[in-house]
Amino acid sequence: MRKSVVLLLMALLLYLATSPVLAKTFGDGITLNKTTLVSELLENGDAYVGKRVQVRGMIADVCESRGCWVYVAGDKPFEKIRVKVKDGEIVFPLEARGVEAVVEGTLEKFDLSREEVIERKRHHAEERGEDFDPASVTSGETFYQIRGLGAEIEGV
Amino acid sequence: MNWRRLNHALHRDIGFLCIGLTLLYALSGIAVNHMHDWNANYSIERFNLQIDPLPPGVVNSAQVQQVLRQLGESKISKKHFQPDPENLWLYADTRMIRVHLPSGNVQAEKPQRRPFWYRLNFLHLNHAKKAWTWVADIYAGGLFLLAMTGLLLLPKRADLKRRALMLSLAGVVVPVFFLLIYY
Repeated sequence: MRKSVVLLLMALLLYLATSPVLAKTFGDGITLNKTTLVSELLENGDAYVGKRVQVRGMIADVCESRGCWVYVAGDKPFEKIRVKVKDGEIVFPLEARGVEAVVEGTLEKFDLSREEVIERKRHHAEERGEDFDPASVTSGETFYQIRGLGAEIEGV
Repeated sequence: MNWRRLNHALHRDIGFLCIGLTLLYALSGIAVNHMHDWNANYSIERFNLQIDPLPPGVVNSAQVQQVLRQLGESKISKKHFQPDPENLWLYADTRMIRVHLPSGNVQAEKPQRRPFWYRLNFLHLNHAKKAWTWVADIYAGGLFLLAMTGLLLLPKRADLKRRALMLSLAGVVVPVFFLLIYY
């Protein structure tokens, strides 16, 4: 009886140890077959708001403290899109910076007042331990962001 | 075995079984709650460097190589990104190097995983998914049983019984109080 329990426990541990932990897949993973260019989302975002979209590109930056957002580099110069996930639900590793990724989520649109932009930029500056001058923000901002639901990142 | 003995034995054994995971979730819980004050997953070394300024605009691969040579990077990464015409971000191994082109100011970051805390948080936040979800569910079930069998461990002495009831009640009132305030 005791031997059977030990064997059963060992089998369970072996299964746990060898079961794939999907290290490269985050959240729901990838479900869509079609990729949308970041430039398309930034230029014609209104057509995609509320829809699930997939983008592909290099991870340009990752939230240092919680891994709760990434920037995916766009297909055109100086373009990137922010992918925000629920804290703790998906945690992007810092090692993902500079790595190719496919990310999916729902496109959201934000119309921020100047005060909201200041608050947001102040928060980001605090996260990165940088100085921030509120006077550098002169107006509100409209931007698109992906509410991240899943991702596949190479080699992390 | 009467029910009191059985209850006591269950409470004791489930308690022993839950020790490891309780420590894991407790330590990681504190770490995750205070992530803004202390990054439990990574220690990040930061360096400030200076290179020759470059004109703003889209940088070409020759300019990227020039920057990397000045930084003494042996493992040259082809990956780079420009968030705007004045800034260039480079990626080498796990490092990220931010170059302000017009001034030549460079900020480099080298993150390193904290092996103990990273693994703890990995399990706590269930990044493993799959079978670990079962383990976490079983643990949650264990905690439920621990609470239920604990409730039935009421001592016979009247003063201790009152104390046990008050403490148990406090454990319920605290979350309800905060729900009333914050929710």
